[in-house]
Amino acid sequence: MEELGAIKKLNFNVCMQCGKCTGSCPVFPKSKLNPRRLMLETAYLISPLTMHPPLNIYEKSEIWDCTTCSTCSYRCPREVEPMDVIIGLRGLLLEQGRVPSTLGDALEGVYKYGNPWGISRSKRSDWAQDLKVKYVSEGEKAELLYFVGCAAAYDSRAQEVARALVKNLNTLGIDFSILGNKETCCGNEVYSLGEKGLFEILVEKNLSLLDQYGINRILTTSPHCFNAFKNKYGKDLAVQHYTQYFADLIDKGKLKFPQRVEKVVTYQDPCFLGKHNDIYDEPRKIIESIPGIKLVELNLSRGRSVCCEGGGGRMWYDIPGERGRLAETRVKEAIDVGADILAVACPFCLLTFDDAVKTTGNEDKIQVMDIMELVAEALLSSNEQVI
Amino acid sequence: MNVIVCVKHVPETAEAEIAIHESRKRIKTEDLVFDINEWDDYAVEEAVLLKEKLGGSVTAITVGSEDADSTLRKCLARGADKAVRLTDKAFEGSDSYAIAKILYKIIKDLPFDLILTGAQAGDDGCAQVGVVLAELLGIPHVTMVKKVESVEGHVKVNRELEGGLEEIVEAKLPVLLAVQTGINEPRYISIMGIRKAMKKEMKVLGLKDVGLTEEEVGESGSWITVEKMFIPPVEKEAEILTGGVDEIATKIVETLRAKGLI
Repeated sequence: MEELGAIKKLNFNVCMQCGKCTGSCPVFPKSKLNPRRLMLETAYLISPLTMHPPLNIYEKSEIWDCTTCSTCSYRCPREVEPMDVIIGLRGLLLEQGRVPSTLGDALEGVYKYGNPWGISRSKRSDWAQDLKVKYVSEGEKAELLYFVGCAAAYDSRAQEVARALVKNLNTLGIDFSILGNKETCCGNEVYSLGEKGLFEILVEKNLSLLDQYGINRILTTSPHCFNAFKNKYGKDLAVQHYTQYFADLIDKGKLKFPQRVEKVVTYQDPCFLGKHNDIYDEPRKIIESIPGIKLVELNLSRGRSVCCEGGGGRMWYDIPGERGRLAETRVKEAIDVGADILAVACPFCLLTFDDAVKTTGNEDKIQVMDIMELVAEALLSSNEQVI
Repeated sequence: MNVIVCVKHVPETAEAEIAIHESRKRIKTEDLVFDINEWDDYAVEEAVLLKEKLGGSVTAITVGSEDADSTLRKCLARGADKAVRLTDKAFEGSDSYAIAKILYKIIKDLPFDLILTGAQAGDDGCAQVGVVLAELLGIPHVTMVKKVESVEGHVKVNRELEGGLEEIVEAKLPVLLAVQTGINEPRYISIMGIRKAMKKEMKVLGLKDVGLTEEEVGESGSWITVEKMFIPPVEKEAEILTGGVDEIATKIVETLRAKGLI
């Protein structure tokens, strides 16, 4: 099996079976997914030794339950990277065509339309139609490229974040442009699903777009896009998540908030910002800089934060027979710490928590807001926010 | 079991905004995404499942332009062994009958036990090629196929009928089956899989190779010509009734009575 090549390069043979990965896996309590066991089984899979009964990796459908939150890799004392082994195993299943159909559809959507929802490319920049935005694709150059990402481009709730971000940049007089309908998926979830071939195509497409339009700096809505550009493209791209960019503006004294937001706010660390990229302080700096806001921490925060279950393809896949999403538990925790607002910095967190607030019947107790929406509320008068 | 699958490379129209071409004879396809016809995808998967179970080979055939190579490569990646693309300027404008003639000329000399087609194509929705092809070959055909079981020398086939009913028929081999969606769950085709399938055999044949004349194909060889294509005009707008349940019910009754429906 040549697909095993990628897994063989991983360092999992130093695994001492301590079980930290399984103990910290957020989906383990409700899924058959057991990273520790998988590490052992994979070691056998690529060695001349055999197991009894022999392991049939193709029957391990729980491999699709992983959210790629990276907690296992983050806590592993031997740097085994169980998450990467899982992604490698996904690749094996995928080459055999053994992918849950909703995930197959998402991948096909990316291949054909440049987004996992399979919505027409011609609708990609509809969200920006009435906003002041430069289109680099139409020759309107700017120093900074705002890479919107699929969720913020197509999902009606996440579009509000893109709109808030654009208004904030415009209010601060920052020159930026977008790729419009030329923008295509960053491929972070494609990579996480183990579809290496498709990921390579996306890297090639995106790098040639950046090259074609002479783009030097990128700003992303999503920590997922940020992660792909920063860590998976094999190039030293100048990319920032918007929380880094706006925290920088605060440091330089260029962002001051005229409005007060009298709310108790708690914050969910997105896995792809926190555990994957060690960005914990910048989002908090923005929240705490807004006059009137009281930031309270969730019991499990920063590196101990619990995934919303939106990553690793889980936006398009439910664990068969699962009861209760982690986002529902997180929403209840946020209410317990007395928050009026659960702030997020990732469109997947936004969507999963918005759903969880509804499914737990807590619409009157807590509101899910993206940090960009909080910034807009503190930066713009109520009049400007409507525009 | 040697299986031939006839496939078509079609524009995806479900999500797209459709516009009519200046010729008023077809839709504009420049901005549309093309892929294998959905029904054909199920047919290819079924062919590969049969091959995996019973042995034999799967050959995918299409009539289309060079663009259709991506559809054939997908068939090869799915598990087909060979692919044939029938391409000629003269084939353009062919109706279902002319397409069936082109396919017939190639298939009649190939060894096969079973021919699979999609029940219809997502673009023109004619659902005729399979049936005409079977007639030309002089073999039986079964349409709207939801299940195939191979029994010594013949197949037992479930047909989808209206109202959720299914009928089970038996047909002697060789037979042509026009496959309905939902017969199986087509496996995901990875990009690596498509790249690997590049090594498989793909033949391209033209008018002379199939042994037809220009008059027998294209518009001149067709029985049907498209007079005009148009988007149906919106004639009536929907009315949303508001108010309480009693109020709405009264309004519905009034409307139905006014139109003489009750």
